[in-house]
Amino acid sequence: MNWQLFEANFESFVGVNLWTMLFAWANLLIVYLFLRKLLFNPVKKMIDTRQGEIDGLYQDAQESKDKANELLSEYEEKISHAGEECEELLRTAQRKAQLREEEIIKDANAQAARVVKRAQEEVELEKKRAINEVKNEVSQMALDIAGAVIERDIKPADHEAFIDDFIKNIGDGQ
Amino acid sequence: MKLKVLIPIIAVLLLLAMIVPTVIVTLSQQADGVTPPESEGEGGISISVQGPKIYLTIEALEGFFLGVLANPITQTTVTLLVATVLLITVAYFINRSLKKRPGGFQVVVEKLVNMLYGLVEDTMGKHNLKFAPYIGTIFLSSIVCTLLGTTQVFRSATADLSVTVAWALVTSGMVWYTSIKNFGFKSWLKGFAEPIWLMTPMNIVSEIAQPLSMAFRHFGNVAGGSVLTTLIYAALALVSNLILGWIPGLISSIPFFQTGIPAFLSLYFDLFSGFVQAFVFSLLTMVYVAGANPPPEEYTSPKGDEE
Repeated sequence: MNWQLFEANFESFVGVNLWTMLFAWANLLIVYLFLRKLLFNPVKKMIDTRQGEIDGLYQDAQESKDKANELLSEYEEKISHAGEECEELLRTAQRKAQLREEEIIKDANAQAARVVKRAQEEVELEKKRAINEVKNEVSQMALDIAGAVIERDIKPADHEAFIDDFIKNIGDGQ
Repeated sequence: MKLKVLIPIIAVLLLLAMIVPTVIVTLSQQADGVTPPESEGEGGISISVQGPKIYLTIEALEGFFLGVLANPITQTTVTLLVATVLLITVAYFINRSLKKRPGGFQVVVEKLVNMLYGLVEDTMGKHNLKFAPYIGTIFLSSIVCTLLGTTQVFRSATADLSVTVAWALVTSGMVWYTSIKNFGFKSWLKGFAEPIWLMTPMNIVSEIAQPLSMAFRHFGNVAGGSVLTTLIYAALALVSNLILGWIPGLISSIPFFQTGIPAFLSLYFDLFSGFVQAFVFSLLTMVYVAGANPPPEEYTSPKGDEE
């Protein structure tokens, strides 16, 4: 086999060289495999991953926003009802307070009446006791006076009935 | 303001690019066309447009198959290798620097990848997104192989018909494979006899013409650009020689006019054309493959549904 190396021969301008074609195919295949593995697939995957992440973030944000809006409307509704609720509450409280007030006043009245009554009773009792004491003293005094006036030997037992009668008449007269 | 100035300049340059080569070629044909540019003064130049340089020839194979197997290593293979290594290296470094919180460069890369997937989805439909890496590969390969030619160290690999034919055949192979997978082999064969059996030769021709037209379009644009660039360089050398030739000494042999002007033309013929052709090639691939792989609900074969 005769090899001819590095001589200035040229191929025809328009022509097909089977070796070159094979070489072109081989190179195309190699470039394709490498570019697919190193460039297109990784870059596309990177883009898609990032896109997915961004989409997820946006979706999350949208969900949060929706939830917030929901809560907001709920709260607004609650607040708009709060006035009525407050009034209602106040009204109930007033009514209750009024009832309680009346009750307390009634209780107080009753107690006062009781106290007055007891005081009256005590006064009555005291009065009676005082009258009794006065009666005794008066009877004693009457006896003393009578003893002094008459200066006679009077037997107290004889006249006691008479004096008691007298005092009782006085007491009854009051 | 800048654009207003630039557009007429570019227009004039493009006009020049069309007219000057024609004039030069006519002139050079009239003037025997054998005198090399070094022997100036005669007013003629010889321009040779050649295919890729051959680095290795196996003489034993030169007799077979019109010699298509004789030259395994050419400028094109070198360019393809360089493009492959370049693309894989760049991809490797991009891959290593990928972060969840992207930096400036990664944003650009992601934008481009997104654009690619968006384009594939728009053109081919969501069910064909698995083809996006291949479309991106063919686009990047095409661009890099074309632009490597502007370094002048390498020759554009896409200016070699072998490469574009190989790529176009890959597209056709994908189309045929998906067709057969989706509609079945019999149905696919029957598709050639649509709408009537008389059309069979036409259908076969169109099936062959599809990759060929793709290949020749891409090859023709890039190779044509380089041919034009060569012609313009030669023409500018001639103009330089004509205007400055009277100066004695070394100065007259320096082609001053070759500076600057070709750069503007290169903007169009290499950069713009390279992008457009890469885009067209990928777009055609997308359209053809998408035609063979319709959305899942239309799987009732549109090619042969008389059964």
